[in-house]
Amino acid sequence: MNLKEYIASGIIESYVMGLASESERAEFEQMCAQHPELVAERRKFEESLETYASEQAARPPREVKAKILKAIITMESSTKPRSIGLLRFVAAAAVILLLGMVVLYYQINQQNKDLTSANKELTDRATQDEGAIDKIKIEEKSVGNAIVVNMVGTKIAPKSSANVYWDSTNSSVYLVVKNMPQLPSDKQYQLWALIDNKQKNLGVFDATDKNIILKMDSTKKAQAFAITIEKKGGNPTPTLDSLTSIGKTQLTQ
Amino acid sequence: MGIPNTYTEQELVAALKGRNNQAFAFLYDNYSGALYSIIRQIITDNDELAGDVLQEVFINIWRKIESYDQTKGRLFTWMLNIARNASIDTLRSKSYQNAQKNQELPENVYRGASNQTTQQNVDNIGLKKVLEKLKPEHRVLVELAYFKGFTHEEIAEMMTIPLGTVKTRIRNALLQLREYLK
Repeated sequence: MNLKEYIASGIIESYVMGLASESERAEFEQMCAQHPELVAERRKFEESLETYASEQAARPPREVKAKILKAIITMESSTKPRSIGLLRFVAAAAVILLLGMVVLYYQINQQNKDLTSANKELTDRATQDEGAIDKIKIEEKSVGNAIVVNMVGTKIAPKSSANVYWDSTNSSVYLVVKNMPQLPSDKQYQLWALIDNKQKNLGVFDATDKNIILKMDSTKKAQAFAITIEKKGGNPTPTLDSLTSIGKTQLTQ
Repeated sequence: MGIPNTYTEQELVAALKGRNNQAFAFLYDNYSGALYSIIRQIITDNDELAGDVLQEVFINIWRKIESYDQTKGRLFTWMLNIARNASIDTLRSKSYQNAQKNQELPENVYRGASNQTTQQNVDNIGLKKVLEKLKPEHRVLVELAYFKGFTHEEIAEMMTIPLGTVKTRIRNALLQLREYLK
């Protein structure tokens, strides 16, 4: 069937008046997309149908218009996209707010737990420290008659400082590290007592913590104390090149 | 022509899709008469019901305007089909048919269409007036298909004529109708 025959077949009128079958409609719409001529013919029939229908118009009941306008205003106000949008926005905001509060609650709760455990840790540490202080006090008492030897830094470690508490009555030696530079892991400090130009080993120590009291080996005699840097574990005799600190006892002065 | 100078069809459709109440009032003022006429040609015996259908039709137009596709036809054609479908749905509804309990609808339709004297005043309005110019065997088929909403298959069965014949006769009737409308 060519286009002219198609146009003259009555399909246009069937389609426009809603009498064409589903497949006829689909075919007609496809044909219209390809043939502007067919669209023009369809339009002509639509216009004459519209003109005729308008000429034959009947007056509807008066109240219908008001009812319709009222109905669409009601529909509009109840389904206005903006009000739906606002409602959705408020709902979404409420959900987000709620989630935010839940997250916040857990965070605060967690922080609270963290703080509680940190607090406990600090309390424990404070208790330990108090214990340590008490112990120091006791030891201080025990070194009540001790001689305090202020160890001063040598040229190779001018900032190093430490005190030796030496109780000549019971030979105890305590070392308080004030500020000794950190050493490589294969080195240690070694404390010596100088007795009649000989060096007596009083033990090795690290300088990892400041202001700690170390109990060193005892000595009955000492004209001076010296600290050297030695290999880990110490040496039987000091390496005098690495002498960092030295302090003379008042006894020899 | 239905569309006066205040709106082109294009502008009217755009305004309606934009939910413009004034455009909708304009639409009602300009098309309600033609649509009410087609409704009354289908619901022939109850003007109050026809008024209710008109209301339903305009509300549907308002609600469905987004789905109106200009490439498939003019706005009036789209509205006319909404009005026709709503009227036929009402005609076929249980409540309407219960009100017509004397006879089954197809019988009623057939007699109504073939016996013009009973509904003279209604048949003298709108498209039905044009239908009168058609040959009776054509007129009946258009009446059944267009104003009663029967499918071609239903009509073929009802009238005991082949489906192809129903189709051809309706097409020919519509072509004649077109000539009368010019």
